[in-house]
Amino acid sequence: MKRTSVRILSLLFATVLLLSFVLSGCGGNSDEDTTSQNTINILMEDVPDTQCVIDNIADFEEATGITVNIESVNYSSMHEKILTQMLSSTNAYDIIVVDCYWVGEFVAAGWIEPLDSMIESSGFDTSVYIDSMMNMVGQVDGTTYMLPFYNYMLALIYRTDIWSDPELAEGYKNETGKDLAAWDSLEDYVEACKYITSVKGDEMAGAVMQGLRPDPIAMEWCNYLFSCGGDFYDASGNITINSPEAVKALELYVDNMTNAAPAGSPGYGFDEAFNVMAQGGAASYVTYNWMLPKLENSAESNVAGLCDVAQIPGGVSLNAGWGWAIPHNAANKELSWKFLEWVESFDVCKARALSGGSPTRSDVMSDADVLAACPYLDTVKSIMETSKMIPIMEDAPQLIEVLGRELSEAVTGAKTAQEALDTVAEEMASMT
Amino acid sequence: MKSIRKSNFLLFMLPSVIALLLVLAIPLGYSLITSFFDTNLKYQGLGEFVGLQNYIDVIKDVYFRDSVKTTLIFTVGVVILEFLAGLVIALLLNNIRKGRNLFFTIIIVPMMITPIAVGLIWRLLLHSDLGIVNYVLSLFGISGKAWLADASLALKTVMFIDIWQNVPYMVLVILAGLVTLPTEPYEAAAIDGASRTQSFFRLTIPMMLPTFSVVLLLRTITALKTYDLIFVLTRGGPGSTTEVISYHIYQQAFRYLEIGKASAMSYLLLLLIIPIAFLFIKISRSRTV
Repeated sequence: MKRTSVRILSLLFATVLLLSFVLSGCGGNSDEDTTSQNTINILMEDVPDTQCVIDNIADFEEATGITVNIESVNYSSMHEKILTQMLSSTNAYDIIVVDCYWVGEFVAAGWIEPLDSMIESSGFDTSVYIDSMMNMVGQVDGTTYMLPFYNYMLALIYRTDIWSDPELAEGYKNETGKDLAAWDSLEDYVEACKYITSVKGDEMAGAVMQGLRPDPIAMEWCNYLFSCGGDFYDASGNITINSPEAVKALELYVDNMTNAAPAGSPGYGFDEAFNVMAQGGAASYVTYNWMLPKLENSAESNVAGLCDVAQIPGGVSLNAGWGWAIPHNAANKELSWKFLEWVESFDVCKARALSGGSPTRSDVMSDADVLAACPYLDTVKSIMETSKMIPIMEDAPQLIEVLGRELSEAVTGAKTAQEALDTVAEEMASMT
Repeated sequence: MKSIRKSNFLLFMLPSVIALLLVLAIPLGYSLITSFFDTNLKYQGLGEFVGLQNYIDVIKDVYFRDSVKTTLIFTVGVVILEFLAGLVIALLLNNIRKGRNLFFTIIIVPMMITPIAVGLIWRLLLHSDLGIVNYVLSLFGISGKAWLADASLALKTVMFIDIWQNVPYMVLVILAGLVTLPTEPYEAAAIDGASRTQSFFRLTIPMMLPTFSVVLLLRTITALKTYDLIFVLTRGGPGSTTEVISYHIYQQAFRYLEIGKASAMSYLLLLLIIPIAFLFIKISRSRTV
């Protein structure tokens, strides 16, 4: 009898353990369910603009009584984190931020909620956004899926003291007959970078570059592509990624990487390249415009007060940015919209811009207080108006992967520029 | 009596069987099914049945074939070097009488750190312009290298980091085997005039063979599946010099969202691992019999 009881108890215990294991794996999060009535969970990238939002969040919580939880994660883990949430029946996040080249994929998969009805009923004015931002991380085929959050358009950040150094300028003039800082074209820029590296040696490189696969190298090279007159597709939708202009852009990129940039550049992500620039190890860096306030901050940089931003030599930058979106399976879309209305209001956007954020609203970028505090935004705005973006397509994340891999192959010398871009074109043919 | 025992046995087995079905058999079965469909995470359902097309595409994929080659070079390299280093350290530790625990604790630290953290730490240390490794080398007049950016060095660097992290595992298992060896054969050999070298090759190696086999096989299986270090250190670059199979599968599944193809790749990886796993089971059984 006693032995039977022990057996029954053991069996019961094992079954309870198994059930609890299974239920914990399969069940929803009951804590979230009970508190979701008045709580918003947001997934964001760990960048300066996110910190600006966090700094202002108390005002929203106080005014509405809604609690906001912001999960700020590294970029590399964001896509997978969002993906798993989108595929489940309920989403742990009420709001997400969407990178510009994920837009086509997210819209095609139906993962983000159209915002038009909410915009209409609340009277939110979307005409305040810069057109290029709204077309990139706002509307797709006439439907508004996102509100532009911040821009990370790329531009040339350069050391004013180095590029105006009379000694360097004179040496360069004697050698080439050209002015050092007259970047009419990418060829001029690459030539000048190589000259600075040859003169400065180990002390400083003409340019630091971000050659890490896939997005850092792809994003950086797109500036070369556009500035050389190339593009992904022509007006008729034909693939032009292996056009002579694109090949020239890649040859210049490889030339700069090989002969001007520090040896570690083919493996650098943007943070590592930033550190080289911030430590005074490079005279220029084609990068995200929001890097400038960080470089000008003496707490983060040894070159504060010595940097400025300019158009990419050749004249066309890669426009990029993030948009706020509400997942299709978010628990409480009304609360989510309430937050978006607040966070994208003029006052909050202005406060974010004043504390180092990277605005997308035209009225904020033209605001006198903002321009007084961040004069470089005037240049950023003018660059943005002529910039181009990665095409909005369903397979854009795949395109960036393939492009990143092939550009890196060209940088290592495993393929010529033409071979690498022919491979990209071949794989693009099956993309939608 | 026999039937009661049998029913009890089945009753106690049931929870384990259900758990195994839930966490192993069902996902394996589901991924086998998806490998025959053009399943894409962007669309609901399995998609269109494509038969063996995913497998054909994968085998034709030059980057997949390259990743198999890179994985084999990586696996053979790290397993052999980790084993040799682990054996030497374990033998030294086995002969130390004082402070063995201290040395052992220090040596085992890298194993306690997650591969992601290991990758991040080494990425900082190996930064070619600002990293401490190149700085220390410069103190000795040696010019630094672009450890993770030079196509000829990147795979070797990743292998070195993997070795740094996994040698403690080898030390742990081999040392555990060494301390359980009987002393009598060594005493008899000493009486017969055998040298330490002769004892090592004629006694230690033969008696340790089952332990060596197990540790080599287990480590080979985990090395074949390496993903996290590559993700943090190189993302498969520069070029595709460090792109291993698991990273290639990750790209296919989570970047391209092509689960059908990723499943086919996973099954091809499984084909590589299964013979090794069977060998491991066979050796484990031969030890217990």
